[in-house]
Amino acid sequence: MEVELCPILRSFGSEQNVLSRPDGSASFVQGDTSVLAGVYGPAEVKVSKEIYDRATLEVVIQPKVGLPSVRERAREQCIRETCEAALLSTLHPRSSLTLILQVVHDDGSLLACYLNAACMALIDAGLPMSSLFCGITCAINTEGQIITDPSVQQEKESRALLTFAIDSVERKVMMSSTKGSFSVKELQQCIAVSQKASEEIFQFYRDSVKRRYSKIM
Amino acid sequence: MAAGFKTAEPLEYHRSFLKENCRPDGRELGEFRATTLNIGSINTADGSALVKIGNTTVICGIKAELAAPTVDAPESGYIVPNVDLPPLCSSRFRPGPPGEKAQAASQFVADVIESSDVIQKKDLCIEKGKLCWVLYCDIMCLDYDGNLLDACIIALLAALKNAQLPEVTINKETDLAEVDFQKKNRLKINRHPTASSFSVFDDSVIIVDPTAEEEGLSTALMTVVTDEEDRLCMLHKPGGSSLSGEKLQDCINRAVMRNREVSKLIDKVMESVKAKK
Amino acid sequence: MMQSCFKNKIGDVVLPGDIFSFELPVTEDGSVKAEKIICGPGLRRNGDEVLVCKSGILRHKQPNLYWIDSQQKRYVPAKGESVIGIVTAKSGDIFKVDVGGSEQASLSYLAFEGATKRNRPNVQVGDLVYAQFIIANKDMEPELVCIDSNGKANGMGVFGADGFLFKVSLGLVRRLLAPQSEIVKDLEKLFPSEIVVGMNGCVWVKAKTVQQTLIVANLIESCENMTAQQRQALFKRVADGNL
Repeated sequence: MEVELCPILRSFGSEQNVLSRPDGSASFVQGDTSVLAGVYGPAEVKVSKEIYDRATLEVVIQPKVGLPSVRERAREQCIRETCEAALLSTLHPRSSLTLILQVVHDDGSLLACYLNAACMALIDAGLPMSSLFCGITCAINTEGQIITDPSVQQEKESRALLTFAIDSVERKVMMSSTKGSFSVKELQQCIAVSQKASEEIFQFYRDSVKRRYSKIM
Repeated sequence: MAAGFKTAEPLEYHRSFLKENCRPDGRELGEFRATTLNIGSINTADGSALVKIGNTTVICGIKAELAAPTVDAPESGYIVPNVDLPPLCSSRFRPGPPGEKAQAASQFVADVIESSDVIQKKDLCIEKGKLCWVLYCDIMCLDYDGNLLDACIIALLAALKNAQLPEVTINKETDLAEVDFQKKNRLKINRHPTASSFSVFDDSVIIVDPTAEEEGLSTALMTVVTDEEDRLCMLHKPGGSSLSGEKLQDCINRAVMRNREVSKLIDKVMESVKAKK
Repeated sequence: MMQSCFKNKIGDVVLPGDIFSFELPVTEDGSVKAEKIICGPGLRRNGDEVLVCKSGILRHKQPNLYWIDSQQKRYVPAKGESVIGIVTAKSGDIFKVDVGGSEQASLSYLAFEGATKRNRPNVQVGDLVYAQFIIANKDMEPELVCIDSNGKANGMGVFGADGFLFKVSLGLVRRLLAPQSEIVKDLEKLFPSEIVVGMNGCVWVKAKTVQQTLIVANLIESCENMTAQQRQALFKRVADGNL
């Protein structure tokens, strides 16, 4: 299989511990797309939502304008289940974890940016996790080329759009959300490209955390 | 004894079956439950279908209405899907506004319609910028026993194939729409998408067509939507334990096979309905 | 997939998902000699491997104690830790105390020095208490006591009036509590003050005047993100009265 393995990501950056009130917070910027994430917890849980053997995770997406719609609900579900798989929530039974994702600006690859911001915020909150995860969006344009981390313009011109969450331990696919039709070969290529791109993001996670702890080393 | 074991340790109970490559209801790991289809069950709808996958029962009704096209797409009509999970179908759903599961399912059906091009939206246009069809696809679950998404997509596709719309012309002089109820046309179905759901047990064992109980115990769920040309329309995996590319490939291969089975089923039922007339 | 030796990583930043496997040293007679290690906060054993589940710096204490030093804000109760809590309710024989965890801790009225059924301690809702966890695990309601194992207060109990309470990160609290903490030493040189530090991130300060109390509180808060040099420079400026 001839695969072009040189994913190009837009310049990305992040800052942890940006907010004073939440227990963990992070901003994540990919090109012009920017998301702010805040985590509260482990905190007291409502009796109706209490789970006896693990923590209850709630994910809330706040769009830039207007109220959250059905699309946001579906994305909340994807992000929640991804975080649940990464978190060791059995270590904090009968407590609540709340993750709030605020869109600052959307210029494509928003779901991937949500995931990256969420992961950085969870790291910042110091919640126990079995692995990290990152989000990567791939667009397949009309010529069949794969573009990683597309902008809104590139998303519009694309024939298919695939977003994956990759885990840091085995580099496998944790979450997948797609739009448009594509062949099996294209899917496997996109997964391979995303896995490659995830290396860069995980290295970035490590560098940012190192930078954060450099003061007290 | 077995019943007690099942209640006390449901996960262990399932594991002991999976170890033997079978499931508590007697199925193999890669086996779907018996799927039945009934077309045209609602007389008042323009198209309808009832699907049963095991105990899971889903009914889809299509209501076509005339409306003005949206400003950004004057040459196409639109399709509005909605999935309803009433308290009737399972004790886990409460009355009131749609819960997260219903909203996620509605979004999933909308995404499948969008991604697969099941109907070309241009075909729904009657007069550019003036008049078009809106298809309200209401999907309701009557009995919830897992694998809702597969049932929804089969019901939707069968109902769309069953739908007949009256012919509409625009009178040039009065500029009003005239509907000819005598002359009915079928919708042009562009693609035939089929969904196949998988659930992952203990991060490793993959089973198809999970029941509600299996869904609750599994560590990840995944739905693959393919069309008749074996292209993927959707790979929906909302989190859960991670899967390698090879495992995904196995699931896709199974989904392609399932597409053939479902197409055969729909064709057979369509034929039998025609024969009766 | 980090599979390098544990010991080379001491003092380095590690992330959740990092896995350490151990190459067991083989002794001369060919038998494998197992090495015992104790996993502290942030580390979990998974078969033969050690899994990191928190981000932070890997620390080591002789002979075989390892843990992750992380900067989190939310407190999770742990047995034996001393904390500052706020009494939020009195119900029957127990007080409810907010320590910043996921659940309010309970404190029996008998768990004070000299308290008997007749002689109840004078504790009101809203009071601050310095207490120690006697029960703290994920499955039970945490319980505090204000006496040590000999029934003596040993510094614990209800705070008097005055003083100032504020919250800092858990990482900073641990730095303040470390034996021979440089921050505390530097502060002592500036103003004589009473400082009580709870493991839950609460710090209580009382100096000679209200003004001095506030200066000390602000200085501690600002230590959060400063290197040693920056801190010394700041303290020097304060000592010179140039602030």
